[in-house]
Amino acid sequence: MLNNIFLKTLRDQRRSFLMWGGYLVAIGVLMALFYPTISSMTSFNQYLNQLPEGLKEMFGTGLVDYTSPVGYFSTELFSLMVPLLLLVFGIGFGANAIAGEEEKGTLGFLLTNPVPRWRVVADKFAVLVVSMALLGFFFWAGLAITVSAMNIDVNLLKLAEATLGACALALVFAAVAFLTGCVKGSKGVSMGVASGLAVLTYLLNTLGGVVTGLKNYRFISPFYHYMEPDTLKNGLSPVHVLILLGLVIVFFAFSIPAFIRRDIAR
Amino acid sequence: MNNDVVINTARLTKYYGKQLGIAEVDLTVNRGEVFGYLGPNGAGKTTTIRTLLDFIRPTGGSAAIFGLDARQGSVAIHRRVGYLNGELSLYDDMTGEQLLRYLGNLRGGLDWQYVKELAARFQCDLPRRIQGLSLGNKQKLGLLQAFMHKPELLILDEPTNGLDPLMQHEFYDLLAETKKEGRTIFLSSHILPEVEKVCDRVGIIRQGKLITVETIESLKSHSIRQLEIHFAAPVPANKFTNIPGVRDIVIRDNLLTCTVVGSLDALVKTAARFEVANIISHEPSLEDIFMTYYNGGKNDAE
Repeated sequence: MLNNIFLKTLRDQRRSFLMWGGYLVAIGVLMALFYPTISSMTSFNQYLNQLPEGLKEMFGTGLVDYTSPVGYFSTELFSLMVPLLLLVFGIGFGANAIAGEEEKGTLGFLLTNPVPRWRVVADKFAVLVVSMALLGFFFWAGLAITVSAMNIDVNLLKLAEATLGACALALVFAAVAFLTGCVKGSKGVSMGVASGLAVLTYLLNTLGGVVTGLKNYRFISPFYHYMEPDTLKNGLSPVHVLILLGLVIVFFAFSIPAFIRRDIAR
Repeated sequence: MNNDVVINTARLTKYYGKQLGIAEVDLTVNRGEVFGYLGPNGAGKTTTIRTLLDFIRPTGGSAAIFGLDARQGSVAIHRRVGYLNGELSLYDDMTGEQLLRYLGNLRGGLDWQYVKELAARFQCDLPRRIQGLSLGNKQKLGLLQAFMHKPELLILDEPTNGLDPLMQHEFYDLLAETKKEGRTIFLSSHILPEVEKVCDRVGIIRQGKLITVETIESLKSHSIRQLEIHFAAPVPANKFTNIPGVRDIVIRDNLLTCTVVGSLDALVKTAARFEVANIISHEPSLEDIFMTYYNGGKNDAE
């Protein structure tokens, strides 16, 4: 079964993967189960619409119509919860992939074999992408089955598209952690850089919605390209998803030479 | 390039920032020999090995294995090399068998029969998880993965770390067989008797510099020994002056202590003129040997 680094890496993170998969499925299913209660509270909409602009920006445009299925799922799942869970998984994996193995002292052991360094990077990154896609799929499947069973009126394809967007967003920061690990070989630094960047760009996008001076810089933030299209309502915006995936590819592409040229600590 | 040269370094130098790893190391290891790389901890043994294996890159000079550049040819080199890490870290959540099969797969397959033979020889408990293994048992797994694909060159960093005497013996036997098959062994150690026992030639490294490379016989011939001679009665000091190779001689009543470089013959013949109760010879420590090569034997400031 352990024929190559890809399969070995997949095996290594099986527990973490099951845990995050469990969280994501649970949160999707639970939120769907709560929906009937929310939908009956029509006065909620009026209240939410009186919130300050800044807060509304944080929760995304779904807040305008919170009691509709699209508004509810956009706000409760896609504005923060799902991207956050995927981000934490992704950053953890990205930091662990090269830097974690280096800190444990097994990286040198692995590189003793007739395996080129680019292959180690590529295999590990492939596991990241596959895991992210699977987590997204499980989340979507759990949610889709539940909303279908409950006859909640929400487009399953658009749910999938919104999930794809969240996965692409999480992959951007996972790739930052991965690249930092390839450059520095420190798990702590990788996690710090990626999480710090995530927080900063999140704030940039959120504040950019209300602070006029920041508005023109929002496009720098990956969160902007995730939130702006309002995918659950409008469907996938290829440009924005391609920008996110483009960033992922660029970070991956830099990871290979960064790892090839440096000394391995242990 | 000469087909009989397996490892060749030319002015190989590695600085970690400003800190010296190794400086201008010129090494040649020939096919079929057991080469000992001897030095105290922190002397640069591991740095040399890690450069040979392309884990770290030299800041100067070059290294070649099988005539291939250590960096350009690293994948091809690794295919023909077995390596045991000095600070062994294994995948703790695998069993020994899973680990060896995985590594075998990375090498494109294994003769599993041979792995089982080796495991039996070293009494490895392959179905057990690595996490629960003792240091010695992990080290045995480390040896197995280095030898299991019958590599042409073995690079072993402190291979007997944590092995009990029985297993050490088994390991020395395996080394002898490997040598007999014409394969090459590069072994680093800080234990002189071990190197004397198994190696053909020795390179001595200290503070990043290769001090000397010579055969074991020649190493022994000018090795330093601390000697104590207990006489039955007090001996006259003037009889023991100017004996070739004898230094730092101190005589107190019937006890003589001194340092002997090379042959003991002259001293023993002189001592034999008196009644000798006991002779105690201390194996030369590594530091003693370094002293012979370093600054012509005079103490350095460290």
